Amino acid sequence: MRTLERDSDDWPLIEAAQNEPARFAELYEQNFVRIYAFFARRVATREEAQDLTAEVFHQALASIKSFKWQGAPFIAWLYGIAANVLSKHWHRQGKYSTEEITDLSDAGGEIERSVMLAQLVGSLLPDQKHVIVRRFVDQKSIREIALELGRSEGAIKQLQLRALENLRQRLGDTI
Amino acid sequence: MNHEQLAEQLDREIEGLMKAQSAEEHSGDLLQIAAELRLLPGDEFRQSLKADLMQQAYVMQPGYEGSPAGDDQVPLGAPELMPMFSQREFGALPADPRSLLLSFASHAAVVALIASGIWVGHQTVIKTRPLSADVTYIPLPPGSVVPQGGGGGGDRSTVQASRGTPPKFSDEQRTPPVIVVRNENPKLQAPPTVLGPPELKLPQSARLGDLVSSNVVIPSNGAGSRGGLGGGAGTGDGIGKGPGVGPGMGGGFGGDTFRVGNGVSAPRAIYNPDPEYSDEARKAKFQGNVVLSLVVDPLGHVRDIRVARSLGMGLDEKALEAVRKWKFEPGMKNGYPVAVQVNVEVNFRLY
Repeated sequence: MRTLERDSDDWPLIEAAQNEPARFAELYEQNFVRIYAFFARRVATREEAQDLTAEVFHQALASIKSFKWQGAPFIAWLYGIAANVLSKHWHRQGKYSTEEITDLSDAGGEIERSVMLAQLVGSLLPDQKHVIVRRFVDQKSIREIALELGRSEGAIKQLQLRALENLRQRLGDTI
Repeated sequence: MNHEQLAEQLDREIEGLMKAQSAEEHSGDLLQIAAELRLLPGDEFRQSLKADLMQQAYVMQPGYEGSPAGDDQVPLGAPELMPMFSQREFGALPADPRSLLLSFASHAAVVALIASGIWVGHQTVIKTRPLSADVTYIPLPPGSVVPQGGGGGGDRSTVQASRGTPPKFSDEQRTPPVIVVRNENPKLQAPPTVLGPPELKLPQSARLGDLVSSNVVIPSNGAGSRGGLGGGAGTGDGIGKGPGVGPGMGGGFGGDTFRVGNGVSAPRAIYNPDPEYSDEARKAKFQGNVVLSLVVDPLGHVRDIRVARSLGMGLDEKALEAVRKWKFEPGMKNGYPVAVQVNVEVNFRLY
């Protein structure tokens, strides 16, 4: 699994973004799922996770020119910003969590598992992938998906089951 | 328990899971995976945030001092044109490098068949072009489309944004609308605007605010985020995302559409499977062009498609069927994806 030790080759991308901010898009694509996953497990709603993810990347872009590479991967810097953003978010909500936001190295591997899951969803058969994305990511009901695809609700439930079984098998093969 | 019963039971459990607010530990493997899938980000958010960041990057570029009037340039590095070639993740899902190989192999096979003179088929020529040289904006008939343009903002206030009217639309946005001013000494002073065609008029008043808010007392920028007004996200006004007004995303006002030109770039097809030839037309050796009029929304999806020039013999239907599946890199304005109306010409040729 790729963790904080990865990405010693981040530097060319960082340097490019420092010279030309629009190149930050590449760093964004590389790290988007990880930062979102960091928040998704720590806040109650998708909207909060989205807002906080956005805040991290806006802050990162705004300070990219002052970033100094000291050997640590770029994602570690982003996790640092994320921890700070989350702490302020909790503070604004009057929530003083007893949880220390220190597990920035994703010791449990949950964030990397999210990245892997996103990749595995992409490898499903098209109809299974469609059902999984609409059902869980877009949070649509079986009925809505059945109407979209012009199929019965029973057929969609079967697709959902097969897709989840495939993901379970592939996760088992990968880990 | 047979497969059908298993699917039913699993879905009942998933229903319970989807209604739960927190991600709890789930005993079943499949339910556990379902719980984790719920935590993946959506593609719409990913693209919307990327567009926001590219707008910010544009402003950060050396020498930027606010766009001069009529500036047609969009930011460098605006959403990548063909992300599948880079093998990086695209949307919530990764690009599959095998698709590139398959595409290459199939194109090579078609070229070889054409060269050998034995291919009987058709050629599709796609021309996306502006419908008018001087008009850059066409409001579509009310209610005929799903709202797309829009915007919103706020500063996470606990109070709804104050009621009022949005500022004027402008081709560029230097200052977003705010009621509670956080920066008393801005470097660049400019009247607040929202991004959209200047021809678009909404009710105006001296009181800036959210058109649909019920808060008429307390000054507030609203519960949204990223700097504008309302409950949405962005530098606009309302519940949408981006620098426009109202529901939807990417500038403008719900349901409005841009045309190519004057700073609006043309959408580019990134997934464009060819239409099939109808049996009727093939037997009659019938050839010609179908012109389709359509709107490419800010997510690159096709909507409001219709036949602008018909060919008949079942080819109109075949063209519609194929182009509905197309995916585009959306048209851009000031770094934001916007809904753009284009014509697509599909040429049916027999060889």
